Amino acid sequence: MNLQAKFALYNAITKIAIILVLGSIILLSLETISSNHLDARLKKKRLKVIENLNDNEINSLIKNNHSFTDYNILKEEFIVLTAIPNTGNIDTTIFFKTDRREIEGDIEIYRILNDQFEFRNKRYKLELGETMTAMDSIKTTVRFYMLIVLVIALLITLITDYAFTNLILKPFYKIIDQKINKVNDPTHYNYANIPTNTNDFRILDNSINSLMRKIANLFLLEKQFIANVSHELLTPISILSSRLENMLASEDLPLAHENKIFASLKTLNRLKVIINSLLLISKVENEQYLKTDDIYIKQELDDIYEDLEDRIIDKEIIYTNTVNENFFLTGNKGLIHTLLINIINNSIKYNIKGGKITISDHINQKMYVLSIIDTGIGMEKDSASDAFKRFERKNNNTEEGFGLGLAIVNSIAKFHQLNIKIQSEKDKGTEIEIEFPIS
Amino acid sequence: MNVLIVEDEKALALEMNEFLSKEGYIVEHAWKKSSAEEKIFVNNYDFILLDLGLPDGDGFEVLKQLKNIKNRDDAVIILTARGAVDDRIKGLEEGADDYLPKPFSLNELMARMHAIIRRKHKLEKNEVKIHDFVLDIQNRTVSFNEERIPLTKKEFEIFNYLVLNKNRVVSRMSLTEHVWGDILEVNSDSNFVDVHVKNLRKKLTQCTLTDWFETVRSIGYRINY
Repeated sequence: MNLQAKFALYNAITKIAIILVLGSIILLSLETISSNHLDARLKKKRLKVIENLNDNEINSLIKNNHSFTDYNILKEEFIVLTAIPNTGNIDTTIFFKTDRREIEGDIEIYRILNDQFEFRNKRYKLELGETMTAMDSIKTTVRFYMLIVLVIALLITLITDYAFTNLILKPFYKIIDQKINKVNDPTHYNYANIPTNTNDFRILDNSINSLMRKIANLFLLEKQFIANVSHELLTPISILSSRLENMLASEDLPLAHENKIFASLKTLNRLKVIINSLLLISKVENEQYLKTDDIYIKQELDDIYEDLEDRIIDKEIIYTNTVNENFFLTGNKGLIHTLLINIINNSIKYNIKGGKITISDHINQKMYVLSIIDTGIGMEKDSASDAFKRFERKNNNTEEGFGLGLAIVNSIAKFHQLNIKIQSEKDKGTEIEIEFPIS
Repeated sequence: MNVLIVEDEKALALEMNEFLSKEGYIVEHAWKKSSAEEKIFVNNYDFILLDLGLPDGDGFEVLKQLKNIKNRDDAVIILTARGAVDDRIKGLEEGADDYLPKPFSLNELMARMHAIIRRKHKLEKNEVKIHDFVLDIQNRTVSFNEERIPLTKKEFEIFNYLVLNKNRVVSRMSLTEHVWGDILEVNSDSNFVDVHVKNLRKKLTQCTLTDWFETVRSIGYRINY
């Protein structure tokens, strides 16, 4: 649940609670007020009845008791007088109760005053009732309107809260979206502040900006560092290799020296390849490459086959390419080419004579998967997982230029958000799966 | 042809000088940006080999200065060890003719210079004659007595590279790098290139004697002309 929905929900719940509490207070006080009111009225009536008492009245009341006759058709009130035996103490306290009474077939709730009194040495019990139906109907009405008000208030607050929080949180979501979600590297970062008058968001925006500035500076420093290292290392190699080349060109060179010079050139070349590989990895990790080319995997594989054809023929390898999907991704064409050629070149290099290389593809939920299977010398189970570790450059004792090729593959894959899986069995072969996310 | 080498690394400039002088180029040096700018202002050059990291400024500024002078047709090849990815794009955008990252093989430099000469001077016929063979650079074909020899792409590339560097030993390594440049391999001294050369030579020998196509011991090959 996002922040906005949480705010709206919280507001709705608190409002419901407030309305419920207020409503029950109103209902409760309504009841107290009305019963107090009724009680006062009943007391007044009792006084009236008792003041006007005479024999006739008593007789008529007692006689009427049998039929419970009321003197108003709405049965709002009733009066019951019964004679009670003249024994014991007389309880003259007046008390009230709320009770159901059946009057002429209708059951209704009444507020009833109970009283006992003596008149001309006879004891009587008096019950005066006043209906509470009116009260109840008022309560029902109040309850009903309260419910309506509650629902309407709820709806209105939900909508307004949602709209309001939406308005308030808009800059926040914009910051999250534009400054965090959509940013992969500091070179494509927009430092312009997102307009907002909420201080907290301004602080957030500025902190992200300053963080990004720091990262951008680091990236720039790293770029300069790479350029410097590159210059410092490659210039001497350049001098040496030119010098050796010039020496080789002289006609009167003794054969033994010539061989040594050539061997030195080869060694120098090895150094150059290693440095260039490391620099390539650093430059990829430093995100110096653009990712703006449309790369068709099928086309790349065809190009690579052309480049490697002679090696495949030389090793009499059965090369099968069943790539079918017309998948393309946007990235750096040169790098993807390097990635694929490194993997395929490995599967040629470590293959047996007359072995097989099978390249196939399929699409599997949101992924385009390219798999390269060879029948090469393979690796032990742990070295296959080690190969992954070497991807991470944890272990850099490169035997046979193996680690760097995979390290290059790994850094290019990471740069393009590709996932590479490797499965290998000693003397059986290796299977490499490259997963390309489908955007 | 005259060449200006703009390079602060004197040892490297001297080696390039030695190599180019042997080829009959007249070579001048500039060690700094300021002296390079003076020189290009005074003289025309066929080639300016421009290093980017100069002690008193960026080689790009020299390039800019040159492009500001009217009616100049000096070919510029950027030679740099800086290795920033965008340098290449920037260099070509600013009007350099080629970009060669250091360390480069002098043979490769020669090949690039030849390619520029052909492009710049729009040689009437984009053809190179070598003994009785004719290389059509544009269409990438080789013919003997007007009859086409069926060469593979790689074989043509090798032949062309050797012809561009004729009378010079071209090492196997340099050939491999030229033909399969983008495969970064530590042990690039493979015999793949030998297989191609063998096939190439077989095809050429079917037409005529090719004793001018030399294998230079363990090092590489040379075409004498």
